[in-house]
Amino acid sequence: MKILVCVKHVMESESEIRVNDGGSWVAHSDSTRFEMNPFDAYAIEEALRIKERFPDSRVHAVTVGSDHARNTLRRALGMGADEGVHIVDGVVGRPSPFLVASWIASYAKNRGYDLILTGIMSSDEMNAQTGPMIAQMLSIPCGGAVISEKISPDQKMVSVERETEGGARDMFDITLPCLLTIQTGINLPRYPALSKVLRAKKKSLDVIDSGVFDGNEPDLIFKGVGSRNKKSDGVFLDGTRQEKVDQLIDILEKKALLQ
Amino acid sequence: MTSLKKKRCSSEKKAGRIMTKKIAIIVEHGHGKVEHGQGKVKPIIYELLSLAQKIADGQDGQIVLFVIGDHIDRLSKQISRDAGYDVCAVGVPGLLTYNGSVYKKILAKLFVERRFDYICAPHSTSGMDYAPALSVAIGASCVTGVEDVFAADGNICFSRPMFGGKLSATFSKGASPLVVTIQPGAFKPVFPDNSTAGRVTKMVYDGHEDRMTFTGTKASPVAGSELGQADVIVSGGRGIRDGENYKYMEMLAEIFPRSATGASRPICDYGWVTYSKQVGMTGAMISPKLYIACGISGASQHIEGIKDSGFIVAINTDPDAPVFQIADVCIVEDAIEFIGLFVETVKTRRLGEGSDEK
Repeated sequence: MKILVCVKHVMESESEIRVNDGGSWVAHSDSTRFEMNPFDAYAIEEALRIKERFPDSRVHAVTVGSDHARNTLRRALGMGADEGVHIVDGVVGRPSPFLVASWIASYAKNRGYDLILTGIMSSDEMNAQTGPMIAQMLSIPCGGAVISEKISPDQKMVSVERETEGGARDMFDITLPCLLTIQTGINLPRYPALSKVLRAKKKSLDVIDSGVFDGNEPDLIFKGVGSRNKKSDGVFLDGTRQEKVDQLIDILEKKALLQ
Repeated sequence: MTSLKKKRCSSEKKAGRIMTKKIAIIVEHGHGKVEHGQGKVKPIIYELLSLAQKIADGQDGQIVLFVIGDHIDRLSKQISRDAGYDVCAVGVPGLLTYNGSVYKKILAKLFVERRFDYICAPHSTSGMDYAPALSVAIGASCVTGVEDVFAADGNICFSRPMFGGKLSATFSKGASPLVVTIQPGAFKPVFPDNSTAGRVTKMVYDGHEDRMTFTGTKASPVAGSELGQADVIVSGGRGIRDGENYKYMEMLAEIFPRSATGASRPICDYGWVTYSKQVGMTGAMISPKLYIACGISGASQHIEGIKDSGFIVAINTDPDAPVFQIADVCIVEDAIEFIGLFVETVKTRRLGEGSDEK
């Protein structure tokens, strides 16, 4: 099996997120921390588990981004991926999911991948578009929100369970090659092993300039980023912790929710 | 919000050009989906209709609903009557559940043959799968998970959440057609006056697909859980820090009669509690009298599952947590410390009241 896993380098979702001065994207500071998109960690882990079942398999991780994105490739290698591919996006501004998908699809085309895995979405932009777009561009089937997969012994087919609303599951048999977007909870992603991390530091990456790929994309106007215009009718409780406890008890008693 | 063009998006909409916008709505007919259940038309169609009318913006928009599936004649007629718009009944013999490969093949054909300016679909687990693929197939752009639409500078703008709901990004249509998916529950459904029924056009497409075969379904882990019956639900999220601390949810729930404990998706993913406790779009959709969210940031998939609760209390250390946008009472505290003190205080008061009566 030849497996390609798409990983994204993102701002840690727990860090403080503020709009930049121009309103064009998120403000970065020296304290901003980045990580592998947590959703993609499940995709890497699933690829590694397939490799454990089919030891001849090769797992390649690909990312699109600036030089910083290599940290996420190193993490994938530290977890156990065999090769890292860095598609360098040197242009100012953020590439759309369409461009990212078209570059990855161009890279993957004719390279003989049996399986392409992505996380179900990225934690930063939350578009959930790149995976299904890559599959469409490569004309291969796509299983979305996969919560369980089993490759057939002849490695020609994968049986998947995809999660639907309310947590029910639809089951499909999908022929390879195909793309799966991986739902969280399918596995518990491992931590990178120290020996692999050390090796990953020295390992050379396959570096490709995105300029070699087609840069055309459908026309969409990006107006900017802002804080969410959701009005909160809620009351923020003030005071010490004990005062907040007392206020909450009063509120719940008045609403007859606590006796 | 500053208007700033993305560097790679070069064209600008020409102002003052008024023309009929052609708007398509995709309506899935299948079992157990958010769009329909047991042949009933669920509000998501009317949420999509709300979106479509906002896009039309009082102009003479042409709205067409595409109903896709097997045995859809009756449903299509009903929708054309209830919604008052034209319906394309896209019959696909044998398509009883969502199949991505079949959908993508048919949708691509449908919308290559018929050009629409906007194609609207739900950001459901199926919409998330076919909408981006459809946009690629027809050369459209794609904006997913939209939760607000408004007019600004003569453009229709679409806002969608990012970073777990802490920020939003806004887009409007360029020269290319636009595929839009909406967050279920984000739009107030509109139920038009059905004075005139729309026309129903029938067509049949081949649903044969070798590469992706449906083999069955499995019930959700939350099926039959106590979450549906409880008056009070106390849920824990990542902010409880450790699976060991989940016992605090149980301690707090015990204060209330007819209570149950729940969880956000991440702590189920971590294996701290079983998926039978999951609250949200991919777990239990709940409507208790009181919901207490402890250490839950409030991703939209969780919010969608709790928004019908009678009263919501949220406890989180992050004052910017999106859960505070929906909560009635917001408490910026460490959930575990707060629950400990809350339970202790309630118990002390109850003991005090008990001794007063003697």
